[in-house]
Amino acid sequence: MIRVRLRPDITIILVCAGLYVGSAAQVRTPAGTTALSLAATTLATPALTVANAAGEAWEDFRAGRRNLEATLAELGHLREESAALRRTNQLLAAEVAELRQGSALLAAYPSLADHAVLARVVARDVLRTHTLRLDRGSADGVRPDSAVLAEAGLLGRVDRVLEHSSRVQLLSHPAAAAAATVPGVGSEGLLVGGDSPHITGLPPYTKIAPDAHVLSTGSEGIYPPGMLFGTALEARTEGLFTVVPVQLAANPTDVTVVLVLAPITKAAP
Amino acid sequence: MKLALALLAALAVQLGLTASHVWWVLAACQPILLVVVGSARRFDPVGVAWTGLAAGIATDVIGERIIGPGGIAGAAAGAAVALVVRRFEMEGPLYWIVGSLLAAACSEAVWLMTVVTLGAKPDHAFVGAFATVAMTGAAGLLVAASERAINAWKSPERRRRRVLRRL
Repeated sequence: MIRVRLRPDITIILVCAGLYVGSAAQVRTPAGTTALSLAATTLATPALTVANAAGEAWEDFRAGRRNLEATLAELGHLREESAALRRTNQLLAAEVAELRQGSALLAAYPSLADHAVLARVVARDVLRTHTLRLDRGSADGVRPDSAVLAEAGLLGRVDRVLEHSSRVQLLSHPAAAAAATVPGVGSEGLLVGGDSPHITGLPPYTKIAPDAHVLSTGSEGIYPPGMLFGTALEARTEGLFTVVPVQLAANPTDVTVVLVLAPITKAAP
Repeated sequence: MKLALALLAALAVQLGLTASHVWWVLAACQPILLVVVGSARRFDPVGVAWTGLAAGIATDVIGERIIGPGGIAGAAAGAAVALVVRRFEMEGPLYWIVGSLLAAACSEAVWLMTVVTLGAKPDHAFVGAFATVAMTGAAGLLVAASERAINAWKSPERRRRRVLRRL
């Protein structure tokens, strides 16, 4: 019996050569469905099924995560949009309120409307400096010492003017002063500001009806005569004068639109 | 036995990567070549060539191609990998990365040449070959990283550190 012992390295070369010949034969043979290809397909099916299931699960997971991210992004976007709309709404509401106030102001003083400038209050400090900042200045015809009027009554006077803004000294300012009178009282007094504005300079024991209107006389050359400062409270006599505390009519904390009147032209002496 | 199981598992993975719900680029990967690379640690170049031959033939059968060129290419790739790994004494991650890249490149080159010399039209050209090399290389990188992580996890140093931490 002949035993053939092949060296592995030679064997593999021979096998490869055989494979090459076999391949060439396959190339030259028309392809068809063979038992081998059928077996390969059958064997491949479970692996493909498992892989497809895993891939599908992964796709689902990815799609779900993407959807979650998209939803969260949309939510953030909507929140931003909602905040922007809220801000716009607030601005529009403020604008409407200002327009209404301006309209009411012009309606309240129709005779002054032609010679006055409607201004918006852009800043206010009614506790410390007792001033308002308006959005109109010299470019709009605002001059120093122009009287400033709110719908309820006089607010104060312009004490500083820039080109496009101005500052109003309120009647509650400690340095504010104006000539004032109470209808029915013959004499004129001086309305002075401060924490508790009051009229002084009236003769002693002057009788003032409570809630009587305190009006401007125009003697100081700033406020037009007949404009409302406020209402008188209970009068008292202090020394040589009657002192009348005044409740100012216009509340500077509520005012958003004011009317800046043209300064009173002083008559030549 | 282990090698046969590894070949079967790799073949199943290779088939699974061609599934329609799996990212299409992964279909170019040939995990079975990694088994050939892995066998280079245990066998001599001829033994690795035999492993490569088996892997190549299995790939041909599963791919429903002409049976033969894949086997020849696998045998050549296995021999080349085994020789290079021995010549340069590669170990660790380099062994897997270089081995997988070399196996894929060699296999693709030999397969292309074989098919062309047979007068048949190859089912893929350079783009497919490049994708195969890249994806098999990536798989090699993954195996290298996994092996490193496993080694680090099982290392005596880590065990000692854990014991010292408990003291």
